[in-house]
Amino acid sequence: MVESNEGNGWSGGSGRRTDEWSECLTLIAANEDRAAFTRLFRHFAPLIKAFALSGSNMSATHADELVQETLLKVWQKAGAFNPEKAAASTWVYTIARNCRTDMFRRLQKFDTPLSADDVTPEQESEEPFSQLQSRRRRERVREMMKELPPDQAQILAKVYMEGKSHAEAAGELDLPLGTVKSRVRLALQKLQIQVESYSYG
Amino acid sequence: MAKFHPEIDLLTEYSAGTLPLAQAACVSAHLNYCAQCHRSIEQLEDVGAALFDGLQAEAVGEAQLDAVLARLDDAPPLRYAKPEHREVGRTPGILQRLMSGQYTDLAWKKVTKSLSISYLKTGDPDFEFALYHIKAGGRIPEHTHHGSEMTLILEGGFSDADGSYHQGDFLFRQPSDVHAPTALQSEDCICLAVLDAPLKFTGWKYRWMNPFLRLRAG
Ligand SMILES: [Zn+2]
Repeated sequence: MVESNEGNGWSGGSGRRTDEWSECLTLIAANEDRAAFTRLFRHFAPLIKAFALSGSNMSATHADELVQETLLKVWQKAGAFNPEKAAASTWVYTIARNCRTDMFRRLQKFDTPLSADDVTPEQESEEPFSQLQSRRRRERVREMMKELPPDQAQILAKVYMEGKSHAEAAGELDLPLGTVKSRVRLALQKLQIQVESYSYG
Repeated sequence: MAKFHPEIDLLTEYSAGTLPLAQAACVSAHLNYCAQCHRSIEQLEDVGAALFDGLQAEAVGEAQLDAVLARLDDAPPLRYAKPEHREVGRTPGILQRLMSGQYTDLAWKKVTKSLSISYLKTGDPDFEFALYHIKAGGRIPEHTHHGSEMTLILEGGFSDADGSYHQGDFLFRQPSDVHAPTALQSEDCICLAVLDAPLKFTGWKYRWMNPFLRLRAG
């Protein structure tokens, strides 16, 4: 069995960037490093499988397929990963998210010229100088996530991990749509996610 | 710089990948013009990634690893050119994907003297995805909706009773909002409209057209 690695991420103290997964991606891009890919696989495959099964409407076979597809894509796209502009875990998560969306559309026989990568491409920060800032922000999000009230954490998990729309989440939890929306908003406020406020309501 | 943006609910669903395809394509086109929303999406994806990292890992067999390793030779890493710098005012990539050409190359269907519509195919069975071309100073007859209407201004601008909107501005109207946009006097306006139910003209002069405005989803 493949075990998930623990204790990855940023080294404390020195502030030097020693993210193991960024390094793996860089090694894959530079010299098709299979040992680096294997390390990456052992860490992320169990998470991708959990992601696939968290919606509970995906069969075990499809979940395994999603694991394979996502990691193959990680291998192929490693050259597009820029450690200056994105975090490795966020990058892998968005690839898994897009593979899942494409898989659902395929299963529903959706006939579309667009892939999820066209619609929700991996984001790249446009300001490399804000690297330290974005790293702090990510750490803060992780810390604050543990402090969220259970009802807010539950909704975020439904939306991001189970892939439910706000309306679907409302239906499943037997809550008014407005309650779901306000819980999401409150949670994001606590995580200090900044959103342009001048919008047409 | 865009002044009107998608609300946080839409950005959240977009970043989680749960927004319907046609609506997600419209939000994606807004990001082409909007650095702020671009940043918000980055942050929201970090939220998704934090949840992802915190999942209870599911055991994956060695056979799976072997299967993927065996497939690597058939899927060599792709080579990437240095990404071009994003040009301000460039046609959103997602629309370039759907149009294969310029706005002027599209088949435009004339609806009134100053309004033409061109339908693009996204494959989303629930939404119509169309470009509206309004002549400078031209007016879209007053109308309402059975459903929601997402609008993104691509060229020029228009105004209605609530305000005026320019390139990159994103509007989301709910059913029964009545409005009659007028293009700015100075130039033609092209906007993207994503509808989940047909428009309904309210003025007596155009009401006869309603039966013709069936939703063209897909
Ligand atoms: Zn915006």
